[in-house]
This record gives sequence, C-alpha cells and structure tokens, in this order.
Amino acid sequence: MVFEAIMQTKQQAQQFQELIAQNKGILIKVARTYCQNEGDRQDLIQEMLIQIWQSFHKYNHAYKISTWLYRISINMAISYYRKNTNRINNNLPLTENISQIAEEGKAEKEQQLNMLDQFISELKELDKALILLYLEEKSHHEIAEILGISAGNVGTKVGRIKDKLKQRFSQYNID
Amino acid sequence: MKVQTLLSSMKPVKVFAVIAGIVWVVFGSIFVGKLFIDGFGKISPWLLFSSALQVLLTAIALLLYIYQTVHIYQADISDSIVETQKKLTTLQSSSLWIARVLFLQLPLWTTFYWNKEMMQNGRTGWWVFQIAITLLFAGISIWLFFNINYKNKDKKWFKFILSDKEWKPVLKAIELNKEIADFKENN
Repeated sequence: MVFEAIMQTKQQAQQFQELIAQNKGILIKVARTYCQNEGDRQDLIQEMLIQIWQSFHKYNHAYKISTWLYRISINMAISYYRKNTNRINNNLPLTENISQIAEEGKAEKEQQLNMLDQFISELKELDKALILLYLEEKSHHEIAEILGISAGNVGTKVGRIKDKLKQRFSQYNID
Repeated sequence: MKVQTLLSSMKPVKVFAVIAGIVWVVFGSIFVGKLFIDGFGKISPWLLFSSALQVLLTAIALLLYIYQTVHIYQADISDSIVETQKKLTTLQSSSLWIARVLFLQLPLWTTFYWNKEMMQNGRTGWWVFQIAITLLFAGISIWLFFNINYKNKDKKWFKFILSDKEWKPVLKAIELNKEIADFKENN
C-alpha cells in the first residue's frame, strides 16, 4: 500500500518534471508580462510551479495542456500582483528606457519590442492576458477558453487593444 | 480539506490572529454564558449585554474571515481567468465587511462598566460626559459601517483607518472585480 503510494508519487513527479520541461516557456512569458523585476518574476514562477504541482492530479483532459497551464499561470500572476502591494512600481518611465536604449545603440526592432513590452505592462490585468495570448498566436477559440469569454468577444477586444497600443506608439512617433 | 496545508499557506501573523480570535470568542462565550446563567438579575445588565454583543460581533467577523480564507484556498485556480478572478476578488472584497462589523463594537467599550450604583449616585457632569462619549462612539461606528466602501478609498480618513498594507490587496481586488464586470459587459 505504502509502496504503491510512493511509486505513484514518484511517477507523478516525473510526469510533472516532463510537463514543466516542455512548457516552461509559458510560465516565463506570463511572468515576463506581469513582472518587470527579475526577483519578482522568479518568485512568481516558484508560486506557479507550486500551484501546478498542487493542481496536477485535477488536470482536466478535456482541455489542452497549454490551456490548463495558461489558466493557472495567468491566474497566479494576477493574484500575485494583487498580493504583493509593497513592490515598487515596475513600470519604468518610458523616456528613461528610450534614452538608455538609444545610448546603448540597440537595433530599432529591439527598441520597438522593448516599447511594446512597456506599453503592454501599462494595460489592465485582463487586457494584458488577452494580448499575451494573441501575441502567442493562440486561436480565438483557445483564448476564449483560457479567459472565459466568447470567441467573438476576443476578436473585438483584440482590435481595441491593438488600437490602444498603436496610439501609444504614435505618441512616440513610431509606426 | 487539508487544514494543515491551508494553515501553512497563511502568513504566521494571520494564523496568530485567527487563533487569538477563536480563543477570545470561545472564552468570551463561556464568560458571557456563565454571566447569563449565574448572574442574570444580579449583575449589571450593561455588562451582560455589552459583553454578549461584543463577543457576538467578534464571532461574526471571525466567521466571515474563516469562510473567506477557506473559500479562497479552495478556489479552482485552473478555471477560466474571468471565472477564477471573479470568485477570488468577490471573496477578498468581503474583507471590508469584516472591518465594518468590527467597528460596530466601538460603543460597547463605553457601556460595559455602567452599573446601578453609577446610575443612582453618578454626578450630572460625569453622565453628560459619559453619554456624549457613548453617542459619539455609536455615531462613529454607524457612520463607518455605512461609509467603509470602495467609493471612499481615496478619502483621508479611509487611508488613515485602512492604510495598512493588508488592505491594499483588498482594494485592488475590488478594482479588478469592477474591471471584470466591464470586461464581461462588452461581451
């Protein structure tokens, strides 16, 4: 009885390790979207891993594994953000970012990507999740499943957020 | 329900607060129960009813807190984002109710020591002062009961009373709860 239980736990641990090895990118991307600070990001990933391990036995095979992982990691990221109120504001002033980047002479594309990261970090929590999934090229159906809204609504909201981001870029005269 | 896991997920100061609250309510209930059984008619009714109400209000706040903590712990984090966050933020938002209920105790701390002798022999000036204090505390507690809400979060008095970092996540939860409502409204 005890031996079986140990074996089962061992097997689960192995499956868990494989799952994380194959999908760690999801956790890193979600953590990057919600935390700019490296220390916070590491803490958040730790909490995500604990939560995934605790929910592992409850995994519903009706959903894709990526859907399941996105749900847990985004839920954790939003809750983590709420819980850690004593953190300093992660959003660096954009002008500072730009000047730093310019000084370092980085490529324009990289500069734009950094700005995109910055603008995304300014979005509301749920909009952040939506655009993260959109940039990951998830289908509207999968985004809808992860977020819990209709697929039609995903399209509308993506359009609005893209407009918002375009506006932010145009404020800095970048097309 | 894995109580041990739930407790280990809570901050030690919160575990201590819950334990202290339970001890207070249990011993308070025994004390008040004994007063009613053995002393009803013999001891001051002010002491009886003030202490009974105080213990009752603490018990309500404690039950609210335990209910909220258990349900937050039990929430299925692998559910959709909107569903999970709505559940969590609604539960967290209810923390303001705990503050409201606890503030209702204020006037009871100004009445429990009243007794027959004071009623008969107390000087007018003393009674004027005493009643003014009780009315003031009653007024404050009722006012706070109706005014501790998200709408007033930026007011000075609100920040003064609930500025502790423990309250900031609650306010953020209320904010997100509204954001979810807007997010769903556009459906």
